[in-house]
Amino acid sequence: MVINVKNLVKRYGDLIALDHFNLEVQEGEILGLLGPNGSGKTTAINCILPLLKYDKGTIEIYDQPMSPEAYDIKRNIGIVMQNVAVFNELTVYENIDYFCGLYVSDKQTRKKMVAEAIDFVGLNDFTKFHPKKLSGGLLRRLNIACGIAHKPKLIILDEPTVAVDPQSRNNILEGILELNRQGATIIYTSHYMEEVEQIASRIAIMDKGKIIAMGTNEELKQMIKSGEHINLELLNPEHLKLSEIQALPHIISVELTDHQLVVKSSRGKNNLIAILDHLKDQNITIGKIYSEPPTLNDVFLEITGKELRD
Amino acid sequence: MFLFNYRYRLKCIFKDRQLMFWTFLFPILLATLFNLAFANLSSADSFLKVNVAVVQNQELDQNPAFTQAIDGADDLFIVQYTTRAAADALLKDNQIDGYIVFDSDLNLVVNQSGLNQTIIREFLDDFVQSSATLVTIITANPTALDNGILAGVSSRSEYLTAVSASQSNPDPVVNYFYALIAMTCLYGGFLGVKEVVAIQADLSAVGARINLAPTNKLTVFLSSMLAATTIQLLELLILLAFLIGVLGISFGDQLGYIALTCVAGSLTGVTFGACIGSIIKKSEGLKIGILIGSTMIMSFLAGMMSADMKYLVMTRAPILGYLNPANLITDSFYALYYYNTHTQFFTDILLLCGFTLLFSTVTYLVIRRQKYASL
Repeated sequence: MVINVKNLVKRYGDLIALDHFNLEVQEGEILGLLGPNGSGKTTAINCILPLLKYDKGTIEIYDQPMSPEAYDIKRNIGIVMQNVAVFNELTVYENIDYFCGLYVSDKQTRKKMVAEAIDFVGLNDFTKFHPKKLSGGLLRRLNIACGIAHKPKLIILDEPTVAVDPQSRNNILEGILELNRQGATIIYTSHYMEEVEQIASRIAIMDKGKIIAMGTNEELKQMIKSGEHINLELLNPEHLKLSEIQALPHIISVELTDHQLVVKSSRGKNNLIAILDHLKDQNITIGKIYSEPPTLNDVFLEITGKELRD
Repeated sequence: MFLFNYRYRLKCIFKDRQLMFWTFLFPILLATLFNLAFANLSSADSFLKVNVAVVQNQELDQNPAFTQAIDGADDLFIVQYTTRAAADALLKDNQIDGYIVFDSDLNLVVNQSGLNQTIIREFLDDFVQSSATLVTIITANPTALDNGILAGVSSRSEYLTAVSASQSNPDPVVNYFYALIAMTCLYGGFLGVKEVVAIQADLSAVGARINLAPTNKLTVFLSSMLAATTIQLLELLILLAFLIGVLGISFGDQLGYIALTCVAGSLTGVTFGACIGSIIKKSEGLKIGILIGSTMIMSFLAGMMSADMKYLVMTRAPILGYLNPANLITDSFYALYYYNTHTQFFTDILLLCGFTLLFSTVTYLVIRRQKYASL
């Protein structure tokens, strides 16, 4: 097992930031740690690394207790911080070389690793640039290069795409998948559910300092009652009786706003067909139709009663 | 790791333009301004001879003793003999401080009162008094002339000899430059703050990254502090070369001891900054503000803005002088320049070392931890 955290408790005065937090990370997986801002993701990562003191619990990485002096474990870990952590006085190349040098002392080996990291994040044309001259996206890429240049086996990325444009975000996510393909185990924290869905092989959803659900994307969505969200544009909804639709099998809720009918159904087959048949019987003309499967936001909503984006 | 980090820290400090301005260019600019402002301060106290005119007339020609006396006082007067009209014109143009009309009353004509006019008046009074004394003596005892009474009355002897207690002539201006060097030493605190911020996970993101690496934090910290001290010493060396070579400020000839003062002062400055950087858990701007404020107060008390302040502190509250690193640095230079022994110098150096040790210990106690309560 790569990471094994048991009953981790971290308090800031009266505030409990981590409340008996448990986490297991297996070799080769991409674990997405998903939760709203303030749910304890970064605190959990900082305790695991270990930068933060904690009140209770145990942390093992590669089956060894984690401590600030556990240099052999630290050598295998790469961190990409939420805040860009580079020296403004150094160039792109020098920054990567410096942070790689904290892990790799051999100059020749380091030179090769730095070149590969630059190539990996696509900063070849910017090696002599200083960070202040880089755009937000390029700066994030430099931040990633500084964290992964020494080729760690475990990479922890803490919200690496915050304030990044969509194109750069896709590049970063592609890069993370590539690192995983090369053999790295990855922990990816984010409050963007789409990102986590896109890259994580397993997802842990956090709220109020603890993990409230964990599994693959599909497993998480299976946990909840909600199925499809069916949206229909009705051209003549005047004679529609919502109670009749509500009475159809697997229907959880029905809502009509202007000409827009939103139906939430539980899991079940042919929900959409049943609704369409009913509308046809009522001579109601349909404009546009679309149906979407449940999202992680629905999972979060159903478990906590609040939106992930709140 | 030590050398690797040392090299990169040197690079980071050198490339920090703001830092280099305050720790390197600013003291040089200030020294240049001091030099311009104080250029004539030392020479202002030197005596300028009094310009005086003597009106030529018949009575003057009949009294060669007066001409002899005033010509003999060439360390006091620049004398020119002229007509009354010309003397009036010279006085009107302020080319002379006054003119003497040798008639029965020995008159002095001036158009204002002042030090120079008083000097001429005193000279004339002295001449009149000496002449009267001689006339009285000769009238009472004409044989006194044969006993050399004339030489006795007219001669002036110094019965006090000035002996300098120091090996150099006192110069109030150099203290301003000593205080400037003290300020520069304490400005090394900027470097200390920078190094501590760069290594502490709760102060900067790069600090967090360094803490996560498999490196000994103390090794990284010591090499960072060494880089800061190296640059601080280099800056001081250039400042000293500028002061001595370009501005011509004298620091005596004890270069070894001067270097020792610079090393001790730099270490005190850098560790002072590191201490402030580590104990104040607020923004870097606040740390720098506190550093500048405290440095300026210390430099002020050491006499950078007014030389009298240093004297005032040492007479009214000497303990404050010993608790002020800036004062200890200026005192070290002062002792080297003026005193013939090194007792005061080594007392100051030892106290500076004590401060360095104190600041280092406090810094170490704060930064030694590797886990933080909050980030």
